[in-house]
Amino acid sequence: MSEVFAVELKNVVKRYNEILAVDQVDLRIRKGEIFGLLGPNGSGKSTTLKMLIGLVQNDSGSVNVLGVEVKTDPVAVKQQVGYVPESPRLYEFLTGIEYLDFIGDVFGMQTEEKKTRITEYLKALQLEGREGDMITGYSDGMKQKITLISAFLHKPKLLILDEPLSALDPRSARIVKDFLHQLKTQGVTTIMSTHVLEIAQAVCDRIGIMYQGKILALGNMNELRDMAKLPDSGLEDIFLKLTGTDDIRAVVEELAK
Amino acid sequence: MNWKNILSLMQVERKSSRLIRGQKITRYRENRFLAYWPYWVALVIGLASGVLAGIIYNFATTAEPELLIMFQNGTVRLFFSSLPTLVLVYSLVFTMMQQIRLSGVKTSSQVPYWLPVTWQEHTMASILASLLGFPLASVIFITSIIIVFSLFIGQVVAALLTSLAVLAAAFMASAATEILRILQVRFIGAVYKSSGRAAVWVRFAGSLIFFIVFYIGYFYVTSGGAVNVIQTIASAQTATWFIPFVWLGIALHSFTISGLLLQGFIFTGLSVIFIVGLFFSATLLNKRFGLYEPPAITVSRGVYAPKTGFLGKIGFSSVEAALIRKDLRAFTRRRELMTIFIVPIVVILVPLMQSIGQGEAMPAQAFMLFLGITFLFPASIMAMSLGSFMIGEEGQSVWRIYASPIFAKSLVKSKYFFIIFFSLIVLAITGILGWVIYQPTLRATIVACFEAVFLAMAVGTISLSIGISGADFTEAPRPRMIRPSSSFINLLACLLASIAILTPFFPYILSSIMSEVFPGLAGITLDPFLALGVSGIIAVVLTVFFYRIAIKNAEELLLKAEI
Repeated sequence: MSEVFAVELKNVVKRYNEILAVDQVDLRIRKGEIFGLLGPNGSGKSTTLKMLIGLVQNDSGSVNVLGVEVKTDPVAVKQQVGYVPESPRLYEFLTGIEYLDFIGDVFGMQTEEKKTRITEYLKALQLEGREGDMITGYSDGMKQKITLISAFLHKPKLLILDEPLSALDPRSARIVKDFLHQLKTQGVTTIMSTHVLEIAQAVCDRIGIMYQGKILALGNMNELRDMAKLPDSGLEDIFLKLTGTDDIRAVVEELAK
Repeated sequence: MNWKNILSLMQVERKSSRLIRGQKITRYRENRFLAYWPYWVALVIGLASGVLAGIIYNFATTAEPELLIMFQNGTVRLFFSSLPTLVLVYSLVFTMMQQIRLSGVKTSSQVPYWLPVTWQEHTMASILASLLGFPLASVIFITSIIIVFSLFIGQVVAALLTSLAVLAAAFMASAATEILRILQVRFIGAVYKSSGRAAVWVRFAGSLIFFIVFYIGYFYVTSGGAVNVIQTIASAQTATWFIPFVWLGIALHSFTISGLLLQGFIFTGLSVIFIVGLFFSATLLNKRFGLYEPPAITVSRGVYAPKTGFLGKIGFSSVEAALIRKDLRAFTRRRELMTIFIVPIVVILVPLMQSIGQGEAMPAQAFMLFLGITFLFPASIMAMSLGSFMIGEEGQSVWRIYASPIFAKSLVKSKYFFIIFFSLIVLAITGILGWVIYQPTLRATIVACFEAVFLAMAVGTISLSIGISGADFTEAPRPRMIRPSSSFINLLACLLASIAILTPFFPYILSSIMSEVFPGLAGITLDPFLALGVSGIIAVVLTVFFYRIAIKNAEELLLKAEI
């Protein structure tokens, strides 16, 4: 694997019984890049992200992350990755601080470093004062903040974020977006999946659009505009055109009848 | 009340069991016949049993005419009249058990309050839904058996009245459970609020006490056997006429046995008023507290100061220590896991309750048995329960384990330490209790303690290895933790392993009995320490073997890593 790429997928296939979730995907993501993975529901985004961290095993092909074949040494990959799942289930019986302390220990962080970082993140995302409460009493947004902190805490080289900004308040969402840009300057690679196309357009260097398990389009905004032959359009129009779901007007008219 | 809404809400509750049964999710089509199988089975068995009882009755009364007189004198009707109260007691126990199981899963038990459903409809659906499963199946069984049997003995009217009363009693029990459930949520909320940072421990202690009292009560009611229970109920319900829950039984007694029609009508009327009162009380409470959420529990408010940790000092890596600490919090804060601590306590308390009062009259064999139960059972049961649940208890949060850099060896090591640690605590407590109560010799105490450790060690690894391979992370409608088939295999494997470990003691026990029976053989009593040594070797071999299997299973689990 090249030193340039943080992630390299070659001819990756994943099936769930008769459903082909990921169909011969080839994908390379450069180190320090913020990459957006978009697609309609059930297009294979979450499965692809899960394969990057070994939460789902690819049936064929190769998944290489940070120079390590995921199947061969998943623990080495996990050590360097911060992951936010689509619908994170936290240990609700722990307090916020206990959960983060647990994560710090699992990633082998030193006590002082762990304390400093946890305190900083809690302050930045306005969880101060609630860190001693059990997670079961948190709102969805607060749980998402805890999940994000747990992904950032150990300074990973690669962030895999599945809908990272869902349920966040505008201030926290802005902090996270700016922080991702900051991390990019430090060489951290981010792969994120989102349905909020404005976020993808604003944050991502390159975007991949998945549809029915395949990468349909890949490139920066200008390249995507060229592919869709929509020179002055935003990501929403490009997405709808490329995924063949641009029959919006007809659907709305039908619904309004 | 819109009964269509009520039935729809009940259907949701019924269908929640699909997740438990682990049916295939894609292209799911319900088989209506199979969906209601417990009730069909109860009905068929009830009808068949009724016919069988009737045939036996016909044969018996032909052969022994005195029996016919006895039946005509009201034995059957006395039995019938005790059924409503019996059903009430059982329904109370089982509907409460149902609520206890659901209490750990907030999301699944919450009715969608945003739907256009009135509080009356919601309450009625909740009361009826609590009866689904065993309570309803048992009511169907009882009513079908007595109706069919009554055809043979000519007591159809009594049987029909009893059936109606049984249905009403089951509803009464479920309505009472509904009221208790709402009050419990509100009460616990108030306790949390007032106890501040101690709320976690207040909840832990409160839950333990609640479960212990509940199970001891349950065993007390059921240990005497069904006949004793019925006799007790039949005699108790007239003596306790002032308790509204027995009014149905009294009414039935008045109609079918004593012939006091006016009294029967009065108690029937009172029963109806009481049932309606229960329903409206439950509705009012739901209206008042139905949307109540207990306040968030604050565990700490001080400055965050991570601990260096005792576990690290005794050789655990930071990952292993973190897992152990996390599990410790899980088992002291998750209500459904607290029940694991109840089992050994109940196991020791029930024989203790039976043995207390027998004093010195207890025969030597019974003494040995109680001593063995007290020393060996609780720690082994704890090891078996913990071992089988240790991985499955992660639930849907298991993604955190999958996504973290955790090796299989670390996972197994931390989980196994936890199992042994708690089993030894249980052994220490039960050992002290057993020693105080039974006052065994020092030699017997040492042997029993070591043997308990051997059993816990081996049973712990067996259960852990099976618990990993059979882990079930389903959380709704209630946490499963282990697949039923794996649970059964685990029970069987632990039983066989325990027999293997205890085998070296059989010649010793045999020689002790023989020396008692034949005093001439007293000199050849075998040394228990020799048996202990052999038993220890067997236990160590089993422990090492299954520990390796546990690691292998954990490797597969982490590699598969799919929830």
